[in-house]
Amino acid sequence: MLDLAQNTLDGLALGASYSLLALGFTLIFGVLRRMNLSYGPAVLFGCYCATWTHLNFQAGLIALAVVTIAATVLAGAYVERLCFAPHRRGSAVAAMVASFALWMQIEEVAMLAMPRHIYPFPQLFEGAPLQFAGLSLPGDALVMLAATAAVCVLLHRLLYRSRFGLAVRAAIDNPLAASLAGIDLARTFVLVFALASAIGGLAGYLIVASHGQVTPMLGMWSTLKGLLAMMLGGLGSLPGAVLGGLALGLIEAHSQWFFGPQARDLVAYLLLFALLAARPAWMTRWTTIRSAS
Amino acid sequence: MDDYTIGVLTNVGLFSFLALSAYLLLVVGEMSFGQQAFFGVGAYAGGVLTALYGVSLPLAALGAMALGALAALAVGLPTLRLKGLYFAMSTLAAAEMARILFELLIFQKTVGGETVGPDGTQGFRGIRWVFERGVEPVEYLAIIYALLAAVLIALLLIERSRLGAVLRSVGSDSELASALGVNVGRLKLGVAAAAGALAALGGVLYAHHNTYIEPRNFDIMLGVHSLAYALIGGLGTALGPLVGVALDIGALEGSQVFGGTRMIVFGGLVAVLLILRPRGLLDERAVQWIKARFS
Amino acid sequence: MAALLSIQDLVTAYGKIEALKGVSLEVAEGSITCLLGPNGAGKTTLLFTTAGVLKPRSGTIRFAGKDIAGHPPHRIVRTGIALVPENRLVFPQMTVIENLRAGAYQRSGAGEIEADIDRLMQRFPRLRERAAQDAGTLSGGEQQMLAVARALMSRPKLLLMDEPSLGLAPLVVEEIFRIISDLHRDGTTILLVEQNAYMALQVAQHFYLIEQGKVTFSGDPGSLEQDEVIRRAYLGTARR
Repeated sequence: MLDLAQNTLDGLALGASYSLLALGFTLIFGVLRRMNLSYGPAVLFGCYCATWTHLNFQAGLIALAVVTIAATVLAGAYVERLCFAPHRRGSAVAAMVASFALWMQIEEVAMLAMPRHIYPFPQLFEGAPLQFAGLSLPGDALVMLAATAAVCVLLHRLLYRSRFGLAVRAAIDNPLAASLAGIDLARTFVLVFALASAIGGLAGYLIVASHGQVTPMLGMWSTLKGLLAMMLGGLGSLPGAVLGGLALGLIEAHSQWFFGPQARDLVAYLLLFALLAARPAWMTRWTTIRSAS
Repeated sequence: MDDYTIGVLTNVGLFSFLALSAYLLLVVGEMSFGQQAFFGVGAYAGGVLTALYGVSLPLAALGAMALGALAALAVGLPTLRLKGLYFAMSTLAAAEMARILFELLIFQKTVGGETVGPDGTQGFRGIRWVFERGVEPVEYLAIIYALLAAVLIALLLIERSRLGAVLRSVGSDSELASALGVNVGRLKLGVAAAAGALAALGGVLYAHHNTYIEPRNFDIMLGVHSLAYALIGGLGTALGPLVGVALDIGALEGSQVFGGTRMIVFGGLVAVLLILRPRGLLDERAVQWIKARFS
Repeated sequence: MAALLSIQDLVTAYGKIEALKGVSLEVAEGSITCLLGPNGAGKTTLLFTTAGVLKPRSGTIRFAGKDIAGHPPHRIVRTGIALVPENRLVFPQMTVIENLRAGAYQRSGAGEIEADIDRLMQRFPRLRERAAQDAGTLSGGEQQMLAVARALMSRPKLLLMDEPSLGLAPLVVEEIFRIISDLHRDGTTILLVEQNAYMALQVAQHFYLIEQGKVTFSGDPGSLEQDEVIRRAYLGTARR
């Protein structure tokens, strides 16, 4: 019973990082109606820049977080300009394939700049894990959960209490009506992309700081987890992204306990495939992928 | 022809099967991130048949293709009716599941005093049917291209036929096609099965060329690449995907200049090219232009 | 009266197909000008091009003396033109009030915006009843009123209306046209596209007939050719 509770706790902490990644994907998908497959690589780029900073300067945790976020936003802007802005009124397939292409490009740039397979990264929390009620919660897991909660609250306020948020929700709801109401769609897309990249950068920083190391696999890993979590929560829904991330974390933690590490991923993919095949209504809200013009 | 060139050309040929597989689905309007799974199915099935059961390569290839088609149907039946992006994600999930299953697959037999067979993450060694019969690399290259040529001829013939027009109409507006009486669902399933068989054929040939395969070979990056090859080469003709493969593996890998920065160049090239030509180099318009010039 | 909107030889194409083949017309300031024509004649294309959603291939669009052809939609709104599109196009998952706030996106001055919202709620009492409801739950007529109100939130000098009566019950249609008359009386210039030629000609000061991408007739209500015009607007001219 205690194991179940501990796994649940671990799963939630893990899931929190997935939620952040999924939020970034969902923001971009909701507004641009496109999947950005360079999202993970942009996060990798951000983490590598922070690693480089760490290796060459004495930078504190906050400074490294800022570097990660800023570098991710920069990489995201590059992707947006090259892959999404030119295809705004055109082919979704072309935009997505272009974002694959930049995925490969960004990963290679990162690996050429820092060729070793593993780099150390300053640990977020050096102390002993919190112990309560027979359960153990590592400090960085607590930070991850808190950060995710904070991002959700701030994002909600941004979307529902600010002028920019109104523009974003209008663009998600009906892009044509939004531009007729006087909303500058192109500018909104750029800003949403930057916001999504910033959230991704934060997620990346927390993930590598929790593990104390960064590897090139982070790019592919972030993309896959973010996509999975977003799909599990129902494509295009922001609350769904958060729930999907937490659900994915829980599924992984429990599957791993019962079936081992390989089964962990197998169960998650199987679940997604089964859900897609069964097509419950909450999963397939977005029945048409219209171009955002 | 030196060994290095033979190697490059062989790879171009092998991955062309995979690129064509992705292309077929793109023609009917579906984007698949998972054709690499059928490539893997073909590789493992073909390898098991020749290395463990002594089946001849041609028969093993047929068996592998059948299995590839079946696997494609298993994936496509519940998912092809989903809208574009959902289908794409389901192919991703299916492909990753396949890869994990390859990691879990341990199936070995003792053949001629040796233990052969898939060994989970350790991979599958000893797929030596081709080289045990003294086939030279350049001869194997010829076999690969002969098969590829046969496939291409078949596809080009279909393209000129009514079936080809129907397939493209489904790709550009499936609702309209359906309204005009086309059984879109059945057609897409058929194409998916053919694409699966084609990828599996490439897989069999790949396994027997490398003599060693492991689950890591069939990861998402391979699928992503094949989709990119198909799109950048052009969706206007079956020759398009070959152009895409040749561009990456042939020109870039082949040229010593780029070497370690191949992905940077290819990635940037693809992104820029797609801005100018969203449906690839040999898109429908280019194909019409070429036909007009040479008729 | 001066022409607030002046369109000359406008050509808009979708790929190879020219939807507008050189349209010229004028909308006098303070007037209700009506665009009639059969389906597919190019009326919606004309409004979309004026609103910046479509880019013209050639021709000019002058608004209050300024050239606005090819400007993006949000800039056109800032210039003082608002479009109430065919099929309403509200934001279904946002509340009525949020829909109105979206319409005022280009404006500054929260106090004035809220005052306008109050005023519009008074003018459209049914919207006030449903202020906190999601716009997707409103009836067709209520959505139409919301779409008009949202367009008015940007305080446009020129209001473009695309088939406001489409799909609405007769009583609701009367209400819509009463609103159009009220707006006219308040000084808003209106370019109205309508299938319901009968009702449209009752409020318009001037009308144009568009057929197959060109203006084929221009006149005032009550002119001798009116019946012929109405017939062609509904049925179109016979194809060769």
